[in-house]
Amino acid sequence: MSENLHRRALQLLAKARVEGLADSERDWLSAHLQDCEFCNEHAKQTDRALRALRTAAIPLPVDLASRTQFRVRLRAMELREREPKRRMLWLACAASWIFGIASAPFVWRLFEWLGQLTGAPKLVLEVGFGLWWTIPAVFAVIVMLLEGVQRSEEPGWMKPGR
Amino acid sequence: MLMRDETKSIARGLQKRDPDLLDRLIEQYQYRLFRYLLYITGDKARAEDFFQETWIRVLERGHQYDGKSKFEAWLFAIARHLVIDWQRTKKAQSLDALTDPEQDKPLQIANESEPSPLHQVLAQESEMNVQVSLGKIAAIYREVLVLRFQEELQIEEMAGVLSIPVSTVKSRLYRGLDALRSALHEGAA
Repeated sequence: MSENLHRRALQLLAKARVEGLADSERDWLSAHLQDCEFCNEHAKQTDRALRALRTAAIPLPVDLASRTQFRVRLRAMELREREPKRRMLWLACAASWIFGIASAPFVWRLFEWLGQLTGAPKLVLEVGFGLWWTIPAVFAVIVMLLEGVQRSEEPGWMKPGR
Repeated sequence: MLMRDETKSIARGLQKRDPDLLDRLIEQYQYRLFRYLLYITGDKARAEDFFQETWIRVLERGHQYDGKSKFEAWLFAIARHLVIDWQRTKKAQSLDALTDPEQDKPLQIANESEPSPLHQVLAQESEMNVQVSLGKIAAIYREVLVLRFQEELQIEEMAGVLSIPVSTVKSRLYRGLDALRSALHEGAA
């Protein structure tokens, strides 16, 4: 039997498990397997290997689930404790924005007065006025970044590959 | 439809960080997740660490799961990314770079004088030759074989877990089957 026929049979055996076969391919393969001992053995061997892969019994480490559940609950508590703080942070930001909008005309007058006093160009005043509004957001970003740094400094047991 | 309802309810529970749901999911998926991690890391202690860390991520990022795909596919994707991130901190580019046989870097085994934990575990099976052969296969191929034939994920789901195109999943499966055949042949010789 030619080498090409074996190669095709092996390719179809793999294809059957990856993508599935067309009817004509399946017919050709089963006819070939009936005649070819080598390919038939290969098919059986692959079946055995995949069956073994499916049925491989891997012992679970003792208490893995309960230890994990404990850690997850601890982390959940930690996150819950942080949530009200974060809510307060956003509330404070929102309040300061509202106050900022309400007080904008007065703040602009203050900037104008400072401009007259120092002789600063109007562009600088406008930029300064814009920056004034970003202060709550900058503050919130700083707090969140600090929280991120805190997380990355968590104890080693909380990280994989300790 | 039933599966869809189940995944939607998991998504809702994860949004709320429901502790009872998480307990149940940890129980339910402990075996499959640990087995997957053991196959891709080849190290029992490391697999344990990643197992715990994966569930912490599930808690923290549960709101990102939309319930449109299988929960296990999302879970395995998280686990895999954790392993890859860890590999990167060990100055490797990715799991693939560490384990691609064409780069001549097989899966690292902690103590080469002893059988690896994976080999020890696999050797307990009655079909020892087959199992040991599986342990010899490069991790990227073993991983696709595990996802396809143990976890029975669809090719598209695997592509999602592995963040690679469907065509690459297929080619890895073909190579994995080929590698399995070669490993078996060597084992029998």
